[in-house]
Amino acid sequence: MAIIPVPKPPKKAMSADREVNCLLRAQVEHLQHVERRLPLRYRSSIYTHAIRTEGEAARYIGEVTEAIHEAHADAANERVKRARPEKGRSKPKAKKAKNGRGK
Amino acid sequence: MSKGLDKLNHIVVLMMENRSFDHMLGSLKAVNPQIDGIDDQMFNLDDKGAQIKPQLLADFQGQLNPDPDHHFPAVDLQIFNGDRSADRQPTMKGFVTSYFHQRRDTAHSQKIMYCFKQSDLPVLTTLALEFAVFNRWFASIPGPTICNRAFAHYGTSFGRVDMNPFDTIEPFKSVYARLISATPKRSAKVYYYDTTSSTMEVVNLLQNQPELFGTYKQFLSDCDNGLLPDYSFVEPNYNDHETDEGEEVASDQHPDHDIRAGEVLIAEVYMHIKRNPALWQSTALLVLYDEHGGIFDHVNPPSCPPDQFTAPANSTGTGMEFKFDRLGVRVPAILVSPWIPKNTVVNRVFDHASIPATVTRFFQLGDVPRSPREQNADIFIEPNVGPIDPQRNLFSLDVLRTDCPEFGV
Repeated sequence: MAIIPVPKPPKKAMSADREVNCLLRAQVEHLQHVERRLPLRYRSSIYTHAIRTEGEAARYIGEVTEAIHEAHADAANERVKRARPEKGRSKPKAKKAKNGRGK
Repeated sequence: MSKGLDKLNHIVVLMMENRSFDHMLGSLKAVNPQIDGIDDQMFNLDDKGAQIKPQLLADFQGQLNPDPDHHFPAVDLQIFNGDRSADRQPTMKGFVTSYFHQRRDTAHSQKIMYCFKQSDLPVLTTLALEFAVFNRWFASIPGPTICNRAFAHYGTSFGRVDMNPFDTIEPFKSVYARLISATPKRSAKVYYYDTTSSTMEVVNLLQNQPELFGTYKQFLSDCDNGLLPDYSFVEPNYNDHETDEGEEVASDQHPDHDIRAGEVLIAEVYMHIKRNPALWQSTALLVLYDEHGGIFDHVNPPSCPPDQFTAPANSTGTGMEFKFDRLGVRVPAILVSPWIPKNTVVNRVFDHASIPATVTRFFQLGDVPRSPREQNADIFIEPNVGPIDPQRNLFSLDVLRTDCPEFGV
């Protein structure tokens, strides 16, 4: 069978300045709901009520998604440390606060 | 015995966004009359009383702006055309009226009836004609994305018909939790596009089980390396964004994102499975849409046995409670496997609760608690135990097909 060509979207299809749609708005709200439960050091500095465009929503979505993964990874590392023999182990240091997370 | 079912080890679901069956596949009725698409007897009335028929004038981008309303009250209007009587029946005559309410523009409201030509969607239409297309796959709820996607993950939306965050309610667990806690243990993954697109299942899955998630790149790599889990759920890119590697165009096909990016995504998923011969013969790929996005479809959503949850009248926006006893608007759904005969058309009724129902039955996850809606949902892959009903088994070929299409991606 011959290979069927698949047209790609043109360059102009991309618009990070497009007004955020109701789905992305909901996704931002869900992430904010979860972000409020994260320790302060993992939280984003983005003001979600000011998000107007898809690009702005994308930045917040990316930051909080990475923070959720990071918080779980840090907790897992702490769990491993706690499980190690006590001999010669010092108390874990508190993590430095992060500002201006992400790109 | 069924050779196709014997070989089957992986189920992959790719769920796209917000397009109706007629909008995407309605044109195929002209190619195969068994496909329940559009004809010139169908119409909605516009605000001037003119009959507006479905027309093959849909454009890739720019036509459905503003985003057609698909929240619960708007979908109620689209299905029942404003009839709120106790014995009302669906008419599917309220789509143009609903869209007119958003811009008060008669000409613009007519675009909600527009459908794609076959040639506009070479990937989706080819897969529909080459494998199994479902004539009666409906959204689970006549409402928006989040609650409909919940049915694909949990077999219920726990009483929600809206976009708000919800918490799962015991004893109903996600299909992923069922798989990884099964004996023998099974594997499952949700592949989101990347962290900047993320998932629509934030509050329960991402927050509590981030280890379930992988990226689309990892999905492609897992296909290539034969590392795909038993069950994979793939999410498209929901937003336009920049990465270190350049621009990423949204591929979810949600209006007003460019349809062609979604075509590329579907083709890539298909081709990465197909290019691995061992994976190709052992995988079923289901491509479908979460809901209709407010866009015209002509098939009346059927009633169904109610769920154990009820959305109260003050939460639906219609002033009426909803017992989850009616399905949402019909969506495109296609099942792909080289064990499925070309031109298969399935007329049984399905909704997204059919996904956890099928996965749970096929992988024999035992007698896990399942919502009433899931228990009543039909399955699209028969469990490979005992005698197989040939009327229900879609993986019916004895010899692997070698004539399956290839896409240039």
